[in-house]
Amino acid sequence: MAGAPTPRIVSGQLALLIPVGSDTYAVSLETVREVVVDPRVTKLPTSPAVVRGVFNLRGDIVPLLDTGLLLGLRPVMEEPYAVLVETPHGTAGLVATDMPLTVRLTESVGHSDIEGTTETYLVADARLAVALDIPVLLSPGRISQ
Amino acid sequence: MSPQESLSENDFQRLFAMEAEGRLDTLVDELLELEKGGATPEMVASLFREAHTIKGGAAVVGMPHVARVAHALEDLLEEVRRERRGVDTALIDAVLAGVDAIRTLIPLAVAGQEHEEAAFDAEQRLRIAVGGPPVVDDKAAAGPGVTAPAAAPGATPSVRASAAPDVAVPAPSAAAPPPVAPAAPPLAPPSDAEPGPPPAPAREHHAGEGSVDAHGAADGAAGHAEPARATATEMLQIPVHRIDELVRLIGEASAATLRLGSALLERLERDPSGLTEYRDLVRSLNELQELALHARMIPVMSLAPRLRRAVRDLARETGKEVRFETRGEDAEIDRGVLERLADPLLHLVRNAVDHGVESADERRQKGKPAEGTIRLHAMQLGSEVVIAVSDDGRGIDVARVRETAGRTDRSAIEMDDEAALYLIFRSGLTTATKVTGVSGRGVGLDAVRASLNAVRGRIEVRSDPGMGTEFRIAVPITMATLRCLVIKAGGQAFAIPLHSVRAVLPSQPSATVGGRAMTMLDGRPVPISSLSAVLGMGNGAVGPAVVLAGLTRSHAFTVDDLVDQRDVVVKGLGELVPRLPAVAGAGVQPDGSILLVLEAAGLIERARRTDNGDRSQEAAGGGGHEEPVPHRAASILVVDDALTVRELQRSIFENAGYRVRVAVNGEEALAEISHERPDLVLTDVQMPRMDGFELTEAIRKQPSLASLPVIMLTSRGSDEDRRRGLECGADGYIVKSGFDQSALLSAVERLLGADR
Repeated sequence: MAGAPTPRIVSGQLALLIPVGSDTYAVSLETVREVVVDPRVTKLPTSPAVVRGVFNLRGDIVPLLDTGLLLGLRPVMEEPYAVLVETPHGTAGLVATDMPLTVRLTESVGHSDIEGTTETYLVADARLAVALDIPVLLSPGRISQ
Repeated sequence: MSPQESLSENDFQRLFAMEAEGRLDTLVDELLELEKGGATPEMVASLFREAHTIKGGAAVVGMPHVARVAHALEDLLEEVRRERRGVDTALIDAVLAGVDAIRTLIPLAVAGQEHEEAAFDAEQRLRIAVGGPPVVDDKAAAGPGVTAPAAAPGATPSVRASAAPDVAVPAPSAAAPPPVAPAAPPLAPPSDAEPGPPPAPAREHHAGEGSVDAHGAADGAAGHAEPARATATEMLQIPVHRIDELVRLIGEASAATLRLGSALLERLERDPSGLTEYRDLVRSLNELQELALHARMIPVMSLAPRLRRAVRDLARETGKEVRFETRGEDAEIDRGVLERLADPLLHLVRNAVDHGVESADERRQKGKPAEGTIRLHAMQLGSEVVIAVSDDGRGIDVARVRETAGRTDRSAIEMDDEAALYLIFRSGLTTATKVTGVSGRGVGLDAVRASLNAVRGRIEVRSDPGMGTEFRIAVPITMATLRCLVIKAGGQAFAIPLHSVRAVLPSQPSATVGGRAMTMLDGRPVPISSLSAVLGMGNGAVGPAVVLAGLTRSHAFTVDDLVDQRDVVVKGLGELVPRLPAVAGAGVQPDGSILLVLEAAGLIERARRTDNGDRSQEAAGGGGHEEPVPHRAASILVVDDALTVRELQRSIFENAGYRVRVAVNGEEALAEISHERPDLVLTDVQMPRMDGFELTEAIRKQPSLASLPVIMLTSRGSDEDRRRGLECGADGYIVKSGFDQSALLSAVERLLGADR
């Protein structure tokens, strides 16, 4: 719909950290609509594995996507949190396996070469967070692959 | 192979009606293309083929009057094809009038209503346009008043019969006063039109006078676009809510029937599917429901002619060169939704001509082709239809939009380009420096958006400066709730629209036939699969079976359990979820859970593929034992580009115990033959890509196929064609109009007997 294009994350910005297994990803807080705890997911048979199912967000039907598979990595095993992000193609949920937290990003420590990501940032506890490129990652073409 | 369900003649007529609708649309589209620029032989041939196919189809489904009109149309186009007649406004108008007449006649024929006279009139008009004499018939005396205005400009009705042939091909200079009154608007009759007098008296009424009454005007002067006289009396415009109510009530009745079925089974231990009366009731209700639901769906492109006309008229008015292209002929949408899209779309295409496309000079200066292009593209995406209107014009001047909006709203100045672009949907905003009759009044895009909101639609816009603009409208296919049967499979609840449920059977015994599990319904074998297996959710429990009807075939699915029936407001799954053919959408339930709605056609297709996959695996493993085939039925390859004819023949031969394969043209037939040699080929003559003559010649050229019997089935009974058919090696030549089932079967049996 209308609205501004989804901003990509930059240093100094507020970001939400999405823990997925042992990895941590970051998305610009501006793209995040809300975080849903323990979403009630309905499986969507015949869909690609990256779509874990759909859930009801106050009457809207929202797909829940496997953050690991989306990046071409290992699938997640559970879905205790859904981070709802706005994309030019509608709202989607990204699975977080642990509680997502807000941080202010410092300087980038390097470029990430995983497709659909941009920079790597050093965050609390000496962890590295890879920033997600939401418009690239959440495009209908990529999800249907 | 399970035999095709036997279809009645009326089923074929309806099938033909649908097919013809598409072909007529194609014809009109191609015709307007033809009008725009030089007629290539390919274009004319394609037009001719469409008319020819309609004629053949009408003849085989028992609509001789429709066939006659199509024949006259074909003859007219044949003249053009043979370059004995040029393409001019009169020709285009005559063909359009013929198309409209056929469009009006088919529903009457399907409904079994009188349409011979209207057909006669239409045929007359076409014959006159050919330049030949009108058909000599005792009815001709009654005809003049009706046919005059369209056929003979300037000629008084009383002298029309003799004057018409002379004026039917106007000299170029005569093109200025168009032979068809252009004033007649292409509008449907008002919805509250009086039923009008019955056809026969009406005819007498205006037969004697050259001037027009309401019916005469519709028939003659309006020529194209106006429905023929019969329409006023035989067609009704029905408010959508009445059909909705009908659909709802039919749903209720179906639900009550299924409840009755389970009550019979549970309380009386009587399997209702064994009762003919019960089965008949269920079947009728299903058919009724399908018809009612289908009554609401129409192709999105049924709006195309109106839009094309608007583009054409406005382009002429503004002195621009604009070409209008469409894509997505198969996208269908609820009639009510489409009606509400008509004005917004009209507005968008007019905007595109007026604001988007530059003048030819300006375009040339910019290095663009002088002719601008406006595209209308419709596409079904899940439970939504997306309609895009795009142009290759100058694009939207975002700076100017921002500046104009900024005069009243300071915040607009701060907006980035994308946000500012959406300001065009604000009420009262226009950047046009002058108000034309067309646009520039600032009412429009906000109204477009408001209309779309009313049908739960949305609009997006993209614009590239100098390159063009695209508006995309996304609307739900239907706003209605869908009555669904809710079942469980693989432990999950799913909804199946009741209109696609043919029957619910208790836990079924099944037998394996040819490696495929089958069960019986109404004494016929129906393939059966586990729904959860088809959905990739494991094998699931073996509970009752639900028989679903797809477009052409039925398929039974075992489910874990039946739950209940309910109305589901079906929503799409959004743009991010890829289109899943087996899932129509989903509904949010009162308890907040999501219920997926399955799509019968997609499920059946998936089941067939899963099934074939299983069998090929078995074959590869070599473990499966071959089921003994009791009798190897002879196989027939039916080659015809008309869907109706193909399906009719498939039905005839399958019912007679043959195996049938089909191909839509000669090329495809050759590929089929090389894949597996049939025992006989039955081919149409006129087909795109490779016709029946060429196919027969190609078959005869291959030594291994020299003895393969070929029968040509055609609607052209000319001696020349017959001779050519036999010369190129056909074994038989059957004319469709004189075609009856037993003659065809005996011809096939004779040839097969000789072959074996």
